[in-house]
Amino acid sequence: MKFPYLKEAVSQVFKKPSTEKYPFVKKEAPEHYRGKIIFHPDRCINCGLCMRVCSPAAITRTLKETDEGTQVTMEFHMGSCTFCQTCADFCTRNAIEMSKEYSMVVENEDDLKVRGTFIKKAPAPKPAPPASPASNLGDSPSSPATPNNKEA
Amino acid sequence: MSKSPWIYHINTGSCNGCDIELVSVITPRYDAERLGFKLTGTPRHADIVVVSGPITAQSKDRLVRTLAQIPDPKVVVSLGSCPRSCNVFKGSYSVEGPLDKFVHVDVSVAGCPPKPEAIIDGLALAAQIMKQKKRGQK
Repeated sequence: MKFPYLKEAVSQVFKKPSTEKYPFVKKEAPEHYRGKIIFHPDRCINCGLCMRVCSPAAITRTLKETDEGTQVTMEFHMGSCTFCQTCADFCTRNAIEMSKEYSMVVENEDDLKVRGTFIKKAPAPKPAPPASPASNLGDSPSSPATPNNKEA
Repeated sequence: MSKSPWIYHINTGSCNGCDIELVSVITPRYDAERLGFKLTGTPRHADIVVVSGPITAQSKDRLVRTLAQIPDPKVVVSLGSCPRSCNVFKGSYSVEGPLDKFVHVDVSVAGCPPKPEAIIDGLALAAQIMKQKKRGQK
């Protein structure tokens, strides 16, 4: 007499359960998982591109004038984020990074916000152009100082 | 945990992403039922209410009515970004959210959608709050 699937039935008895032991055994997210944002304020240049590309408007910026320059605070609201990574892709200085951290469970909404503060120095004032009496009609000597982005 | 916390799930205009992840928590792979969590079909049996979606104008009345039917003490869990902040739908004419306009949100699980592991963490925290509420500590 033949028992169909006997081998399968016996092997199932000695198999480990397929349930993951999650809360007791921690699990790492797969490669390239888009989790909680890590912001590097030292790399940011305050271009504001991340805010423009963010579809849920989860990124806000507060500017404050100080003696040393403009104090810029970027705030990423993880309770509003879609984790699309567009901000990180568009960031020219790689100041935004997506981590593998997936467990964002909080009681207080404020804990979902990722903040970073840095000071952007104003460009150094241009040295006064030498007064030349033979200046032509086209270029005026008192041209406004253009902001130099490389300074930041 | 002295008693199994029963979960009631309300979809208030969610894209179904969070709902799928919540149901997968009940499947054999993640199996939150081994920890006592059980999905219930009626709000009157529920301890923990899980809300997903940005609360559309159509679902607002139903949400408020359903929340009123859940016996106290209850724990409200917001699942994903939508109930927390309306996500990409904020400012829409048909969205009345976020959820904390209508009820105090005890636990927020962030993610779009959150991983099932994160939902298990959120439910565990909700069960803890439930315990504190029953003892009158919160």
